[in-house]
Amino acid sequence: MAKEMFLAGCSAAAHGAKLSRVEVISSYPIRPYTGIMMELSKLVANGELDAEFVHGEGEHAQVSIAYGASAAGARAYTGSSGVGVTYAMECYSPAAGGRLPCQMAIADRALDPPGDFGSEHTDVMSARDQGWIMGWAETPQEVLDNTIMYFRIGEDPGVMLPQFCCQDGYFVSHIPGKVVYPEQSQVDEYLPPFKNPHPLDPTKPVSHGPQIYPDQGPAIDLQRAQAFIDVPKVIRKAVKEYNEIFGRDYSPFLDEYRTDDADFVFFLQGGHARTARYAVNHLRDKGVKAGMVKLRFLRPFPTEEIAETLSKFKAVGTVETSTSYGGAMKGGNLIHEVRAALYDVPKPPAVTSFMAGLGGEVVTLDEFYNMAKVLAQAAKTGKVDQYVYWVNFDKGV
Amino acid sequence: MADVYQITIWARGVVQDMEGRHMSLIMANSADKDGKFVQAWDDYADLPDRVGVPLRKYVRISDEEIEMRYEYENKEPNMVVLMDDTIVKGMNILWGMKKGGVLVVNSKRSPDEILKFVPNKELLKKVICVDAEHAFSMEGLDFMGSEGGVEAAAVGAGISAVIAGAAVHGTDNLTLDSLVAVAANKEGAKEGYEKAVVKDL
Repeated sequence: MAKEMFLAGCSAAAHGAKLSRVEVISSYPIRPYTGIMMELSKLVANGELDAEFVHGEGEHAQVSIAYGASAAGARAYTGSSGVGVTYAMECYSPAAGGRLPCQMAIADRALDPPGDFGSEHTDVMSARDQGWIMGWAETPQEVLDNTIMYFRIGEDPGVMLPQFCCQDGYFVSHIPGKVVYPEQSQVDEYLPPFKNPHPLDPTKPVSHGPQIYPDQGPAIDLQRAQAFIDVPKVIRKAVKEYNEIFGRDYSPFLDEYRTDDADFVFFLQGGHARTARYAVNHLRDKGVKAGMVKLRFLRPFPTEEIAETLSKFKAVGTVETSTSYGGAMKGGNLIHEVRAALYDVPKPPAVTSFMAGLGGEVVTLDEFYNMAKVLAQAAKTGKVDQYVYWVNFDKGV
Repeated sequence: MADVYQITIWARGVVQDMEGRHMSLIMANSADKDGKFVQAWDDYADLPDRVGVPLRKYVRISDEEIEMRYEYENKEPNMVVLMDDTIVKGMNILWGMKKGGVLVVNSKRSPDEILKFVPNKELLKKVICVDAEHAFSMEGLDFMGSEGGVEAAAVGAGISAVIAGAAVHGTDNLTLDSLVAVAANKEGAKEGYEKAVVKDL
């Protein structure tokens, strides 16, 4: 029988990696993801996990070790937070372009300046175009489940891509929640051992990461873009089988909450979805037709699903938790892609965005109620007055 | 929003980091066993890896879903626990407490002696002292596991069980039966309950 225990997101990630039988782990400390490596080092030291544990001299080395191990045919695991994520930036494209399906756990953290431990999605959102599969978990349970699912998706022979398995720092990573801990036999049934078809092997030499002529570049870029075309199919199958084996109820891309007959929805990813659910419950009690749609994968971005789902509503508010300074909507990132996905829809909803949860600030129920007022108005009039509302700074929120 | 019973535990960096965390975990686990909604977590801004610095660990217990889950601190603690009586000096340990709170102290001293160092003692309705120090054991002491880790050693094997046992006198949200069921140091939990010196104010 699967047992139930209280785990913080960090430990949930570590145990997801353990259950996935990771073979090489590379670490370098930075809050808040450090707890993942502390837990894994303990599991290795206690003989509960048979893996090489390598400590890098920084995040750049750390990710290099992980994708190097993946190139040699190992299931490799690493992770970071905040400026650690951005310090390793050079390594992301080689891992994805080399089709090396290592996994990097992210417990997100605000970037400097000034120094801040708090959660903000901007760190790894900055790496969203490097060719990695990525998405956020809402609870420690989803962290553990995603860790296992992402390996299965990334290592699919038709995919072969690395994965950012993300959770909100502190909110998810440091607050324990109830987790149903799967049996090892279930995970073994779901996740076969990793096989790299062209491993680095001194007895059978191959070249990885060669230099090319400029005219060879576009074709390789096209290949990398096409690699993502089949990923949604693989995600659908991987999530469906996960639900069947482990008795869960995950949607592949969009988790809808009380959206039947909703006039407007909050659209967001990660831990704040939990508070959004509570806010929706209270708004519904007052007769306000609010709902929530949670994004489970940012990459690949589920364009068709978003167009289909969000066009059912009169207004949509993206809750950003990341920044895009000087971007098209002068606020966050989600709204850009949501609006793009809705561009060809015959009757698109009014879409605006809310800058909230930055620097680790808690997005409170009251803030969701204020956002709801803006969205209710947009649902009524069919248009938005602003594309971005800075919560607690702009009028009305 | 539902009433949430808030417990703030003060401990010392490194030497009591684990015991403090265990304290929050066994209190939450015990209330969970009694069918409550619970939350136990470490303060995110404290520095648990610095020897002797004051640290906060928190518990929330409620009959309904805890919607304030992400708020960093217990802003209105109903109960404050000191793992070490020296913490009473120099800090406003009752910060945020409304009138009618409970103070639990690990101390050889009497409640009256402890109260001399609490300038805002009018907030308290009860002080509970228990001498848990002798129950402290290095066995199973694990300096890792802060920063969101789970415990390799049994939870509540040391003084945390004794102090939590004493704290049962302070609130209906904790029951001795459930506490004994979840804490590794079962005798300690009972001993703490029996040896507690309780002063109603």
